[in-house]
Amino acid sequence: MMVPNRLRQGSLIIGLGSLLLLCAAAIYNLWFIDHLTGSTYHRSQTIWLVIGALGGGIVAGMDTGFVRRIALTGYAMLNVLLVGVLLFGREINHSRRWIELGPINVQPSEFMKLALVLVLAGYFADQRAQRSWTLASLGPPLALTALPFVLINRQPDLGTSLCVGLVAVSMILYEGVSRRTLIGVVLVAVLAVPVAWRTGVIHSYQKERVQAWFDLDAQAVQSRRRSHASQAEQALWAVGSGRITGRSDDEARRSVLRHLPFLHTDFAFAAWAEQFGLLGSMGLFGLFFGLLWWGLYLAATARERFDALLAVGIVSLIFWQFLINTGMVIGMLPVVGMTLPIMSYGGSSVLTVMLGCGFLLNIALRRRAVR
Amino acid sequence: MQIQVGPSHDAERFRTRNQLAVAVILAGMLLLTARMLLVQVVRGDRYERYAAIERVRKARAPASRGLIRGRDGAVLARNTESHRLEILPARVEDDARAEALVGTIDELLDLTTTERAGLLAELRRAREAGRHTPLVVRRGLVSTTCPSDSTPMDLIGKAAYRFCPTCGRTYEPVPADRACPADRRKLVATGNGEGLKCPLGHREFHDGGRCPYDDTALRERTHSLRCPTTGQTFNDEVAILRANLFRLPEARIQTEIQREYPYRFLASHVLGYVGRVNRRDLRAFSPDGPPRYGLNDHVGRAGLERSIDALLRGVDGEQLIVRRAGRDEDGSDIAELLAALDPRPTVPGLTAQITLDLQLQRVAKVALAHVHSGAVVALDARDGAVLAMYSKPGYDPNVWSGRLTREAKARIDASPFAPMLNKAVTPFPPASVYKVVATAAALEEGLITPATEIHCPGHYEFGGRRFHCHKRSGHGPLDLVGAVAHSCDIYFYKLGEALGIDRLRTWALRMGFGQTTGIELRERFGRIPSRRWYEEGTGYLPGFALSTAVGQKDVTATPLQVARVYAGIGRGGVLPTVHIVDHYFAGGRKIRPMARPAEIDMGLQPSTVAVLQRALREVVSGEGGTARKSRPDNVTMAGKTGTAEAAQGAPDDAPPEIKRWLLDNHAWFVGYAPEEDPEIVVAVFVEHGGSGGHIAAPVAKRVIDHWFRRSDRDQPGGGDEHNHGDEPEDDPAPAGERREDHADRPYGTMTRPPGWPTDSGARP
Repeated sequence: MMVPNRLRQGSLIIGLGSLLLLCAAAIYNLWFIDHLTGSTYHRSQTIWLVIGALGGGIVAGMDTGFVRRIALTGYAMLNVLLVGVLLFGREINHSRRWIELGPINVQPSEFMKLALVLVLAGYFADQRAQRSWTLASLGPPLALTALPFVLINRQPDLGTSLCVGLVAVSMILYEGVSRRTLIGVVLVAVLAVPVAWRTGVIHSYQKERVQAWFDLDAQAVQSRRRSHASQAEQALWAVGSGRITGRSDDEARRSVLRHLPFLHTDFAFAAWAEQFGLLGSMGLFGLFFGLLWWGLYLAATARERFDALLAVGIVSLIFWQFLINTGMVIGMLPVVGMTLPIMSYGGSSVLTVMLGCGFLLNIALRRRAVR
Repeated sequence: MQIQVGPSHDAERFRTRNQLAVAVILAGMLLLTARMLLVQVVRGDRYERYAAIERVRKARAPASRGLIRGRDGAVLARNTESHRLEILPARVEDDARAEALVGTIDELLDLTTTERAGLLAELRRAREAGRHTPLVVRRGLVSTTCPSDSTPMDLIGKAAYRFCPTCGRTYEPVPADRACPADRRKLVATGNGEGLKCPLGHREFHDGGRCPYDDTALRERTHSLRCPTTGQTFNDEVAILRANLFRLPEARIQTEIQREYPYRFLASHVLGYVGRVNRRDLRAFSPDGPPRYGLNDHVGRAGLERSIDALLRGVDGEQLIVRRAGRDEDGSDIAELLAALDPRPTVPGLTAQITLDLQLQRVAKVALAHVHSGAVVALDARDGAVLAMYSKPGYDPNVWSGRLTREAKARIDASPFAPMLNKAVTPFPPASVYKVVATAAALEEGLITPATEIHCPGHYEFGGRRFHCHKRSGHGPLDLVGAVAHSCDIYFYKLGEALGIDRLRTWALRMGFGQTTGIELRERFGRIPSRRWYEEGTGYLPGFALSTAVGQKDVTATPLQVARVYAGIGRGGVLPTVHIVDHYFAGGRKIRPMARPAEIDMGLQPSTVAVLQRALREVVSGEGGTARKSRPDNVTMAGKTGTAEAAQGAPDDAPPEIKRWLLDNHAWFVGYAPEEDPEIVVAVFVEHGGSGGHIAAPVAKRVIDHWFRRSDRDQPGGGDEHNHGDEPEDDPAPAGERREDHADRPYGTMTRPPGWPTDSGARP
């Protein structure tokens, strides 16, 4: 497989360029949000991004063999931490997701996503390449996924556990699954949703959100008695106010968004869409696409199966978070607690994504080094 | 562990997967983009409107109070806007500012020195107490309509007037012909003789520079509006204040709906009046439902306003107020969103159409013009509808609905004629009109026949007491019909003796005395004494039965009850169901009132009823009948007079004419016409008026004459030249100033009414 040198350089520029622009966009967006709400998140976010970049640089220079060796240990430790979170975690907004480490709160579930990607990539790389995996042979990777999935879901944190599940499924599908297994799993999943709905596996607050999502359209709103608009509705109105080119600074400053409690985290995209409108949002989508395309390009051109799977895992990690978060903000999906990579404020989230990008850079650099 | 070298592992497979992955990502982004298009472009406009909402709150949307209309559709009670000026004490910075503020208000509104000082003192007190409730400077500010009758005023150039800052009087320039502009009566001198005033009403005229009453220097002012009905001039105070509100940042003009009664004194007791809610009303709200009253609501306090308040009031709803860009709006452009908030709709109050005939009511009022105190009730004998109910003296419900001054209230409270009392539903000793009870009872019990004759020597000795007939010389031998026609007391003493007090009571109750009539007004039901009642009280003597038989001693009945009983006799022994509300209107839709109680049969044999009818006919048509002088012009009438001994003592300091008045008898008359098939029944009661035949019967004659004259001439309710019902009384004085009759005659400390029957309670 011959890839011209020049394109390889170009892909790097596209990927890292998108990442850098995303970082800049995130800082600007948080700066604007800080103006609305009178907080200082853009500063902390900058610090986290710098730390994340440094971490990513270190990761980029690491030996893959070493990474694969410590991945399982890290995975095991994070599982222990997740249990610890359930037992001793700090409760914020009715859910235990954080462990206090001095001045900062660490969210182990975020790091768990990356660890799972590493562990799964390692597992599949170690196995003999199969044309298609059956359910039986997928036992170990499913078990590796199920443990953190359940632990995170217990917090409860539907968004992150969903993300963990989606990442694992994406990687397995990328590896290839036999047609019978695929059909069987899809059937079971389709049947499982109503069962889970009924038996209480899905929490009632999660059900409410799903129901609220069905109501988002104005016609449905009419039939409900409510004294105030929900977060999702206010976010939707703000996004709509952005129109094509975005609102003027003055208008944006009076945005309804200033009342949203999760504006700087889950609803950061709403602020962006209101400021810059459809065109600005398309631009942001383009940056994400650039980053994701780079990852997939790396997967396609990786030297080792581990590298390819790692890249795919990281790409799926970023993609699902991106899709679900933006979909939620614009009222296409129910509200789940899921951050928009880079754009949402949160140390653990930023570090995870930046480390992931470090791995992508690692793959890119080593591939070049081989040349 | 197998180590693969290079990207050659399953390269083909992974390339497809890769392309698939890119496709998935692109598909996701496409989906997002499509949704963004919908949200930001297609629905962007709508969402932008939603996003501009700062706050949505629900405010009370008060229901409008239903009107009360008379039989011919004339509006008897309606709602008008009233403006008041308020100061918010908390906004006033310091005493200097308070003084400046009051000075500005004085300049704009002409305060008297007393008002000015009082306002300043109250403002100071309110500020010291840190009050946040507004301080009302003046209610009922004049706007563009006449204060007296709400007709729109004409804009005139400038009309000069003078204002006395001490007594608060305003003086118009003296007209050239020295006649009152309202009624052309000659002006009379006032004060020190330099001022002039209309003989009726309160308009004063003066051209000098000093007040004729207190010699204060007058302020020269101008008015710019003229009331076309009275010729009085005013200023649009609301407009003047609005234009100057920038000088009064601590003040505001509040508009409220006020109840107005265009006919004023004509039907005051029937209509009643409304008052501001008080703490007790506010506590009486239903726990689940919407609060019945708001803080500034009006509640019916008397008459129909009180008894059908719940229907007139309607149900307050909610109104959404959307705050956008710092302004309150109704949010009509985001109606589809606001509908989700589901504001409770406002249900306007029902309009009550009552059976009162204003012409007849006016005739009743005029017919009572020469008496101090009394009542007239006219019922439609066929269905029990109240055609007229006039109680004298009346009051102006406009004044009582929120414009009552302490002085006016004190005057009315001190009046010996009890203007606030609806005498049509207040019990009085019925005297001879009650004799139908003894007549019917004796016939039904078989004690006498119509032919039974009793000799009347003018007195009757019983139980060691001599009972007199009103004719001291005696009537001689009389049969039953003659006894009723001459109202012979001796005959009924003997019937009372034979019947006993308890049998009299039984038949009285059966015939409708001592019972509520079912009218939609609060009424008292009088007292029909029993032997037990006396024994539990002051003790019983057999002579009481004799007095009771002639309607004296402790028997009481209301004019309305009496009218109903006689209507029952006239129509063959069936009591009509008395009502005054004919139906209600909601919007344009007619609503029948709740089922009325059925008509009650008195339980008299037809022969008894026939004897009663014959006797009552003799009263009017017979040679010696007590009401023979009051035969109606062109219809037959049957009825009964009554003269109740009701001499009352008065306090020593009472004026002599009041003392004399109190010594006189109550005059009663009740009659129905035509006697064969009664159409109308009229009960007249004149308190301390004298003889029933001389005083009360002529009043009934006038009412009945009018009724039949009109129904002979045209269709009922049609407009002939007598029909003044469509226009309110042309009364020159502004609301609250005209005094009705003797309603406000000062009368010492006498509390009214002395020796009032004590146990006849109000209808629950």
